[in-house]
Amino acid sequence: MTRTHVPFLVIAAAAMLAGQAPRAAQPPSAAAPRVPSLKDLKFPPLKPIHIPDVATVTLPNGMKLFLLEDHELPVINGTARIRTGNLFDPPDKVGLATLTGMVMRTGGTQSKTGDQLDQELEGIAASVESDIGETEGSVSFSALKENADQVLGAFHDVLTGPAFRQERFALAKSQLRSGIARRNDDAHGIAQREFADIVYGKDTPYGWQIEYATLDHIERKDLLDFYQRYFFPSNVLLAVWGDFNTAEMQTKIENLFAGWTVKQPPVPSFPKVREQAAPGVYLAVKTDVAQTFFSIGHLSGELRDKDFPALQVMADILGGGFRSRLFQRVRTRMGDAYEIGADWAANYDHPGLFEISGSTKSASTLETLKAVREEVEKIRTTEVSDDELNTAKQTALNGLVFAFDTRTKTLGRLLTYEYFGYPKDFIQQYQKALAAVTKADVLRVAKQRLHPESFTIVAAGNPQDFGQPLSALGSVKSIDLTIPEPEGKQP
Amino acid sequence: MKTLLFCVVLLVGCTCAPAQNLKEFEKKVTEFTLANGLHFIVAERHEAPVVSMHTYVNAGSVDDPSGETGIAHMFEHMAFKGTETIGTTNWPEEKKALAAIEAAYDRLEAERNKGPKSDPARLKSLDEQVEAAIERAQSYVIPNEYPRIIEENGGAGLNASTAFDSTEYFYSLPSNRIELWFLLESQRFLQPVFREFYKERDVVLEEYRMRVQSSPQGKLLEDFQATAFEAHPYHNPPGGWPSDIVNLRLADARRFFEKYYVPANITIGIVGDVNPAEARRLAERYFGPLPARPLPPVLHTEEPPQPGPKLAVVDSPSQPLLVVGYKRPDQYDKDDPVFDVISGILSGGRTGLLYEDLVRDKQVALEAEAGDSYPDSRYPNLFLFFLAPALGHSVEENQKALEDLLARFESKPVDAETLARVKTKARADVIRRLASNPGLASLLTSYYAAYGDWRKLFTSLDELDKVTAADVQRVARKYFVTPSRTTAYTVNTGTPPAAGPRGDVQ
Repeated sequence: MTRTHVPFLVIAAAAMLAGQAPRAAQPPSAAAPRVPSLKDLKFPPLKPIHIPDVATVTLPNGMKLFLLEDHELPVINGTARIRTGNLFDPPDKVGLATLTGMVMRTGGTQSKTGDQLDQELEGIAASVESDIGETEGSVSFSALKENADQVLGAFHDVLTGPAFRQERFALAKSQLRSGIARRNDDAHGIAQREFADIVYGKDTPYGWQIEYATLDHIERKDLLDFYQRYFFPSNVLLAVWGDFNTAEMQTKIENLFAGWTVKQPPVPSFPKVREQAAPGVYLAVKTDVAQTFFSIGHLSGELRDKDFPALQVMADILGGGFRSRLFQRVRTRMGDAYEIGADWAANYDHPGLFEISGSTKSASTLETLKAVREEVEKIRTTEVSDDELNTAKQTALNGLVFAFDTRTKTLGRLLTYEYFGYPKDFIQQYQKALAAVTKADVLRVAKQRLHPESFTIVAAGNPQDFGQPLSALGSVKSIDLTIPEPEGKQP
Repeated sequence: MKTLLFCVVLLVGCTCAPAQNLKEFEKKVTEFTLANGLHFIVAERHEAPVVSMHTYVNAGSVDDPSGETGIAHMFEHMAFKGTETIGTTNWPEEKKALAAIEAAYDRLEAERNKGPKSDPARLKSLDEQVEAAIERAQSYVIPNEYPRIIEENGGAGLNASTAFDSTEYFYSLPSNRIELWFLLESQRFLQPVFREFYKERDVVLEEYRMRVQSSPQGKLLEDFQATAFEAHPYHNPPGGWPSDIVNLRLADARRFFEKYYVPANITIGIVGDVNPAEARRLAERYFGPLPARPLPPVLHTEEPPQPGPKLAVVDSPSQPLLVVGYKRPDQYDKDDPVFDVISGILSGGRTGLLYEDLVRDKQVALEAEAGDSYPDSRYPNLFLFFLAPALGHSVEENQKALEDLLARFESKPVDAETLARVKTKARADVIRRLASNPGLASLLTSYYAAYGDWRKLFTSLDELDKVTAADVQRVARKYFVTPSRTTAYTVNTGTPPAAGPRGDVQ
């Protein structure tokens, strides 16, 4: 099932302002101070971005280890990434992966209960946490340097020997049930969730959601089996960064995990996204709101699409920020929205979502949705301006430095590329391709990849206040937000 | 709505690496004040060629005049609209056109001021004239030019926020472009142009509709605050009441700006790959011309003593939510560190008492948290409890469970291990925060603005260290008392909504 999607931060290399000399010192002005002009600004060249070396080694048990030193602060962090995900939930047990990810930590280890771990770790301001999302599982830790050994030990125990105690399993289930009960309280969340689920297909692993009934089918043994299937050394990438010596840390980890030698068959591929269109106008009625929340679009693509750079530029011009067409028109000119934007959100290994989203007062619902439609038509029929193209490219290129400004980001990116089989220099390749995008490219990809006739349009709001009927956009299908009762139980 | 949770840190006799203690950190910090009173704090971190800037203005929604609530927030939006040279194709003409809008609007208001005697036809015609004047002025605007420049130069994390006690503006840039920030930031406060004011008023109203009117939690917190505070401006929503928002005038924003955005009322933090001497030179060049003006008057309205427990109930079809607040003194009170410790004991991670008791053991709550300063901290405020009942459990059960927990908390002194844990956690939090340029820039300026000394980020550790179990018990007993309590929760009365916009302002 889809979860909150973190958009890939697309950044390209800084377009070095070639040949800019450092600014000479200005003598103090005797005359009335002239307000300095933007045109007068000259920037020195950007200092080279030092991307530190990451030590990589495969341990005897198959675990792949990545180490990066950082001596600024006395802290050590680590994340183990495991190839698994809620895409592997059986359809009648949606929620299994989520529960496994939760109870791996809260259920404690062979030697310590979850509560004991809590007391111990929080007592030294450290943490060990676990989670399983759509396409990956993670166990992470953070510790002050002086407690590294202790926390590494706890981390090892949670990763290799979780106990899944019954009490915490029951609590986790109960918490998820409470979450289900609350899932329709926020109109913003409804529009985005329903959009994603409809586009991917509510009967597919990408579009289905946890229900009371699916939770009821899940037993503690299922968690043990799920853990056993996917958590084994050769299925783990472990990144550790912080204030340590590489050789020492490598030895420490090697020794710590020497006894973890379980084997499992390779993990199957994730299910494929069903390439489908789900065109139509969908309405979820929400009466306790003053705005309509909307999500519009269809499937997008993957990050490795050769057209991804052009698509990113296109989406940026359409709805990427202050200077975008949707922002300028719907928010700044019409005053009809606070939030409005467009995103070509691509994933590493499966199609993401092209989504135009925002919210507007109920009475301007139709006006706003029509404006969105017009802007989509416009970008599909006419080339963008030189100005717009330049702004989009400069924004991305000049922001590149923020892709590398912390060790955490640098190492995280390396791990992600490794995990999804992307080349190490993917971001540099992306940068080159982005710099080469032309107006013709943007028009071409808008024509080829934006299909307004296939748009899924989801609106969550109060139709009584729309002013005009939503059916002006097309025949309206109703979204039933009723939360299905657990099987065999009366409300 | 921003809850300023002060992070107070303990520095135990430190055997750790030096980076995170005050003496070492101080070496990286340069401070200076310009002749006009504007204060700069520059901290060096050369890990990467990036730099973060944070402008902290000592004025927020608490300073909104009566009838003009939301003006502080409105000005924040105006600060992105450009200057006499940025965002316009022709300033002299635009200036005239903007004045024409105000003249037309004044005529409209003069007719409205006749009350029941105003002529509807004349009102309609005057309104159309205002719209026409707005259209004309709009023709000179290059929309969103100011933020576009920032984004195009690689600006990251561009945003601003209006809280009760402060308004803050911040973003990061590649460090070779730091002069761009000096130019843009100085000019936005030297010569702000209030263009697109009335359109932006609509945007601000949309923001209110989104954050409050369409959010069960937003509605609850708004009513909670309005109930807890009767006289003090913490009573008002930080974005303003809708009927005030739709009547805000450009002159209101200009008055607010001139009164509160005086250099001596502003602190600027610059953290990252920066040369302090260069920063000083640039500060003098760009911010020097800002004229010194007197500090605004200190807010004198005080909330009178609460006469008894208060209750607010909000009708909502959503799952129930519960908020409980107890009146507490401001951040300058000698017991402020004790409240931080209490919040750490009750809430945070899985060892907080609220989690252990209400979520884990009794399982009456899905979420149970405490906050030590709500809605902000410069004036007497609230110690807050926020609870989301678990499925099948009620607000009443959670109220009872909270009361029982507090009774036990007050009767039994907290054990040494728990106290130590809270202090260790606070210390580690600060260490970890030293790794973030934007985070540091924010912390340094807010501590300076509140206490006159950024070092308080570290020295408050010592104050926290001195807090004893007896202090905790004393403060809990003194302040967590029924007459000082305000309770607010949602209830589903099942009343269907009336036709037409609900509680909406046209």
